[in-house]
Amino acid sequence: MDFNYTIAMLLVALGLYCLLLKRNLIKLIIGLAVLTDGIHLLLISLGYRTGGIAAIVSGEMFSDLPGFAARAVDPVPQALVLTSIVINICIVAFALSLTIYAYRHYGTLDPSKLRRLKE
Amino acid sequence: MAGMTVIVRTIARLLFPFTFLFGAYIVLHGHLTPGGGFPGGVIIAASVVMLILAYGIERAQKRVSFLHAEVLESVGGLVIVVLGLFGLLLGITFLQNVFPLGELGQLFSAGNLPLLYLGVGIKVAAGILLIFYAMLFAFRGGEE
Amino acid sequence: MIPHAPILAIVLPLFAAFLMPVVGILARRRGIKRAREWFAIAAVLAELVIVMSMLPVVWGGQVLVYQLGGWSPPWGINLAIDGLNLLVAMIVSGISALVVIYSFVYMGRDHGLDQYYTLFLLILAGMMGVTLTGDIFNLYVFFEIMCISSYALVAFRRNWQSIEASIKYLIVGSLGTSFILLGIALLYGMVGSLNIAHLAQKLPLEPTSAIIVPLALFVTGFGIKIAMVPLHMWQPDAYQAAPSAVAALFSGATATVGIYAMVRVVYTLFGVFAIGIMLAALGLVTMVLGAFMALTQRDLKRLLAYSCISQIGYILLGLGLGTSLGIQGGLFHLFNNAIYKTMLFMIVGAIIYRVGTSNMDQLGGLWKNMPVTATLFGVGALAISGVPPFNGFASKWMIYVAGIEAGQAVFTIIALIMSALTLAYFLKAFNSIFLGQRPKHLSDVKETPLPMMFPIMLLAVLCIVFGVLPQLGIDIVRPAQEALMNSGGYIGAVLGGA
Repeated sequence: MDFNYTIAMLLVALGLYCLLLKRNLIKLIIGLAVLTDGIHLLLISLGYRTGGIAAIVSGEMFSDLPGFAARAVDPVPQALVLTSIVINICIVAFALSLTIYAYRHYGTLDPSKLRRLKE
Repeated sequence: MAGMTVIVRTIARLLFPFTFLFGAYIVLHGHLTPGGGFPGGVIIAASVVMLILAYGIERAQKRVSFLHAEVLESVGGLVIVVLGLFGLLLGITFLQNVFPLGELGQLFSAGNLPLLYLGVGIKVAAGILLIFYAMLFAFRGGEE
Repeated sequence: MIPHAPILAIVLPLFAAFLMPVVGILARRRGIKRAREWFAIAAVLAELVIVMSMLPVVWGGQVLVYQLGGWSPPWGINLAIDGLNLLVAMIVSGISALVVIYSFVYMGRDHGLDQYYTLFLLILAGMMGVTLTGDIFNLYVFFEIMCISSYALVAFRRNWQSIEASIKYLIVGSLGTSFILLGIALLYGMVGSLNIAHLAQKLPLEPTSAIIVPLALFVTGFGIKIAMVPLHMWQPDAYQAAPSAVAALFSGATATVGIYAMVRVVYTLFGVFAIGIMLAALGLVTMVLGAFMALTQRDLKRLLAYSCISQIGYILLGLGLGTSLGIQGGLFHLFNNAIYKTMLFMIVGAIIYRVGTSNMDQLGGLWKNMPVTATLFGVGALAISGVPPFNGFASKWMIYVAGIEAGQAVFTIIALIMSALTLAYFLKAFNSIFLGQRPKHLSDVKETPLPMMFPIMLLAVLCIVFGVLPQLGIDIVRPAQEALMNSGGYIGAVLGGA
């Protein structure tokens, strides 16, 4: 399990690195997606249990409720991750659309060239 | 976008009903198996996007225009909110499950859950399609 | 109280937002003019009524708890409304109502108004959700709804300014919300709950070294949204490039919601008044930097954006002091800031509407053309600088006194100097817009149209009323201050016997 947390935090660090140092809007957006995916992995790992079963209501569940509860994985992080993925899709789609417009207006994808407002 | 070669078109046309059906299956079984409105909606949208890529936007637009997708997206959202309000009117709280629960494991069971998934599925499919259209328009130069 | 008011306050704008494209299509088919505008105004006014109907209950000292789907906390999602939530909800719905009325004429020349009003109602739903929810993940989701709608509203006109500003805002803003999500994930891993009251009950049992990381993540994440100083880079661009109506909404309502989220998380959830002094110091830096940057601006909207940063600094200073007078002053300043900042952005919008630019080098001598607007701008400028007969004075005075009482006289002195600086740059702005030489092409500029003037005047009247009768304003914010200081009451009311 520690392995999962390490990878998750590595992904977050990788995303941050991309956001801080890359000079291309598309790469920035990829960095953002990687960063969020690291957080998703962390969340999923929080609820995971080795050899666990899916927490879906079924007939067997009611026959042995305590046993089911002892073996099932935590469904809450999965719901959270699904919600977060939806949000992330919106952000990435919107960012890419903006990138298209930015390329049309500025002719470049370099974010450091997008600074006409400051002048 | 003019569309692709005959091979791609034929395979896309053959695959389309199955992809669409699979998406619909995922949406309708959302309350029984893993999956649900969001993944199913994405699969449905992907099937349409596949057709658009194969045949070009002009032909696809005749079938599902921007306006249709926009209306469908609103309808999906409204289904969810109206179901929530049903809970308010017939029960005590918002989104309360006021419909008959049925038998566990059957397709028509679990009260308002399948209906909610249907709403989510419509909304997501239309929404993803709208995003795709919007990006295409952005590429082609701002015509609405 | 209207039955089910808490959930209706969130669902109504959401419902209206989903209905808006349909209304737009129908209006185009049938040729009904201005259907979208009237629909949006009706929705927002209904929202205001719903929020106001909760007022007597909450001011009676009760914490309204509403369980979604009948699941009791800490398992289900619940809405919890105490004095603080209600104060923010009042500001948000009031400002939104005025901005919609203002948009009626101001946005009338734009295309794609369906999208504008849909996004407007969505951002309202997001803000209401953040304000009223009692569940931290729910707060995150609504916060994201609010953020995504605000990126889209900034980019609404799709010219190069708005695209550039929106991209900057989006990348920095999504980084901030990712931090909030990471903070929530860490909290969930530690405690195994997402309910704010339940978390607040359990977190003090955890070791301090463990809760410091999520706290830092939350402060950074919400700090980006309220443009606290090392994290403010997106804000002047976004406010300058967005349509003025949108900038008015951001400065009045969205920033308020950001501060609410920060305060709720820092004070109720973590209950650590110890980092208050850090907030106060950050507020001080924010205040100083915002004021100095505002002094050098040539664009009126950019100047207002920096002054917005500076005012946020005052609020953080008051809230960070942690004494009851400081928190009261901070919340009162939050209330006042929403009033005059919205009003000033609306006036800039009126100038842009009539003249077409907000660059102060190209303006001048407009006093003769727009005497009423000029007077109102003067009222706003004096209020924001804290000159006595206006509302800014009352709240700033409370923050000064609180600073001295808390033994931080240095903070008070710096805040006083910054107040004088505020007056200086607003006088400069007033001078270069309304006085001086009038360029020839501006000689036939007309006065602001009446539907735009109405919300501005209403806000100006509020400025004067709360300046002359500060006790009235203090009475409005006192329930919020008491609620914020009494997190035990909040926890007890939400969890009940559970």
